[in-house]
Amino acid sequence: MSTRGTDSSPATGPLHAVRLGPRSATVVALASLAGLAMFLWPLLLTPDPASFGTRSDAPFVFMAVLPVLVLVVLAEISEGGMDAKALAMLGVLSAVNAALRPLGTGVAGIEVVFFVLVLAGRVYGPGFGFVLGCTSLFASGMLTAGVGPWLPFQMLCAAWIGLGAGLLPRRVTGRREIAMLAAYGVVVAYVFGMLMNLYFWPFVAGVDTTAGSLAYVPGAPVWDNLERFVVYTLVTSTAGWDTGRAVTNAVAIVVLGPALLATFRRAARRASFGARPTFGRSVRRRDPATSGYVTLPD
Amino acid sequence: MSTAAPARVTGGTAGGARRDRWRTAYLPRALHPAAWWVWALGLATAASRTTNPLLLGLVIAVATLVVVARRGDAPWAMAFRLYVWVAVLVVVLRVAFRVVFGGGAGGPVLLDLPTVPLPEWVAGLTLFGPVTAQALLGGFYDGLRLATMIICVGAANALANPKRLLKAVPGALYEVGTAVVVALSLFPQLAESVLRVRRARRLRGGGGSGIRALRGVVVPVLEDALDRSLELAAAMDSRGYGRTEQVAPGSRVLAGVCTVGGLVGVCVGVYGLLDGTSPAVLGAPMLVLGVGLAAAGFGLSGRRVRRTHYRPDRWQVPEVVTAGAGVVVGLGVWLALSLDPAAVNPSLSPPVWPEVGLPALAAVLVGVVPAVATPRTPLTAEEVGA
Repeated sequence: MSTRGTDSSPATGPLHAVRLGPRSATVVALASLAGLAMFLWPLLLTPDPASFGTRSDAPFVFMAVLPVLVLVVLAEISEGGMDAKALAMLGVLSAVNAALRPLGTGVAGIEVVFFVLVLAGRVYGPGFGFVLGCTSLFASGMLTAGVGPWLPFQMLCAAWIGLGAGLLPRRVTGRREIAMLAAYGVVVAYVFGMLMNLYFWPFVAGVDTTAGSLAYVPGAPVWDNLERFVVYTLVTSTAGWDTGRAVTNAVAIVVLGPALLATFRRAARRASFGARPTFGRSVRRRDPATSGYVTLPD
Repeated sequence: MSTAAPARVTGGTAGGARRDRWRTAYLPRALHPAAWWVWALGLATAASRTTNPLLLGLVIAVATLVVVARRGDAPWAMAFRLYVWVAVLVVVLRVAFRVVFGGGAGGPVLLDLPTVPLPEWVAGLTLFGPVTAQALLGGFYDGLRLATMIICVGAANALANPKRLLKAVPGALYEVGTAVVVALSLFPQLAESVLRVRRARRLRGGGGSGIRALRGVVVPVLEDALDRSLELAAAMDSRGYGRTEQVAPGSRVLAGVCTVGGLVGVCVGVYGLLDGTSPAVLGAPMLVLGVGLAAAGFGLSGRRVRRTHYRPDRWQVPEVVTAGAGVVVGLGVWLALSLDPAAVNPSLSPPVWPEVGLPALAAVLVGVVPAVATPRTPLTAEEVGA
């Protein structure tokens, strides 16, 4: 929150373009918990013994509930108003992400959305990362006809990626920071692929009680289903799509990361998020970072 | 719309005014996007209830008919076929999975493929093996259900103008909605920015390729975009963005309590739904309660935003008819299938020809009403000329 020129480490100081107060943080945590359960339901479901064998309507209920959940969280984060600069920055970076997304499709696994998301989440903080994940995928869905039942799930996943990037340890700097972000990019690529697969697995492979198939067996022990799912995800995506995504993320972060981090930080300093004009007794001090005067509260 | 003006002038008596309003509502115009979404979600709800291919096929037919009758020529309207392809892909994948990885045994064998056992560490999988009618049909029915829902969402995308939908976002999402609007309107400028930077690089003789060139393009483009965002923010600030309504502190606290309480309810509801052994009250009812509370908090927190609308989309008779048709389809199919449980999931063993009762069919057919009871969507050329 500091705009003080005396701040010795403006590059690494905590910066929150979108503040997550205690109330917003609670809401994000609760919604993430419910959202995660909606991704992991095939592993968690224990069907009622009385109605065993009947189809579960749970996934269809979740399809209806998750969009509402995402909207409620977004409303809560922006509750109390959002800085115009943060909002404009969100819009611009969402446009960049939406433009990057179609670059990859067609070439197996080249997915370039996440690296900007990771870098922006790192610089602008967890709240901004969360919202950017949502708006990026939503804007890209609108531009490339990708609005479907899968969109809220993708949005929530991307939001977690941005949030996590903002929560990474702040003290790491320089080359180690880039290494950390690249490693995070790799992990995130696989986790995103796994979660999206897990959500779609029962729809593609089916719900079945026959042994020896890749289908999801409701009520089977968690490990059995997990083993089947791991085979499914290894066969269908890990080798191709997910690895491609991980490699693109890591390479993009290593090659472009330092330059983009510097660009983002420069913009953040110029925007001086969270600085509120105050009236009354104050001190004027020259701020070397913004090369202008900043009015500091007394 | 300028076309609305003459109608307003001629309205003399009360009856005449009503007739004119009626006529105005049916002049070629884009319907309120929310009406199309309610309609499409009603159809999708109906589809999610059943795997009966006759009903699902009818839902697809109804959605396609309305799309063909009422879509304009905008880019999003042309995207409908993309959704159809995704839907086809879902069905094909689903059936292919059944053939390759087996499952759903029983019933007459259609094709006896050799079985390929895989090593023990891959969960005791076997590839191929006899393909039974039941396996294929089961895969097809299940895939068709999701495919139908995708086509319904695609129909909403083809019919509803996304920009107008963003204009109608509720107050609580004002900021995030504005960010998406900014993204959509800045999107074309990025391409122009890339071209400008590349031209500048060439003029300086710094062509080249490889990583350095990539950095040389990406960084200036981003700088440009971020600079533009700061200019935009300054412009928004000077035009009074962020002006908020005075809301009593109690109302804010109430909104927070509703949202947090609602989300706790959703968490409990999801748990109850997943754990079949917990009391039934903890499942769907709790989920509905939680979502309702959270929605109330959502509505309350939107009260602080006061906006004026330029040419707002009004909710007129055709909108009511369209949204109503969707609600009738969703509720009607739900009720009809509750009374006729045999039609919900047609029997696979033995595979029989699926049957549907007349009430469910009639309920789905209500969905076709918007194809005739709505104004024609004007083409882009007409809108520009208007």
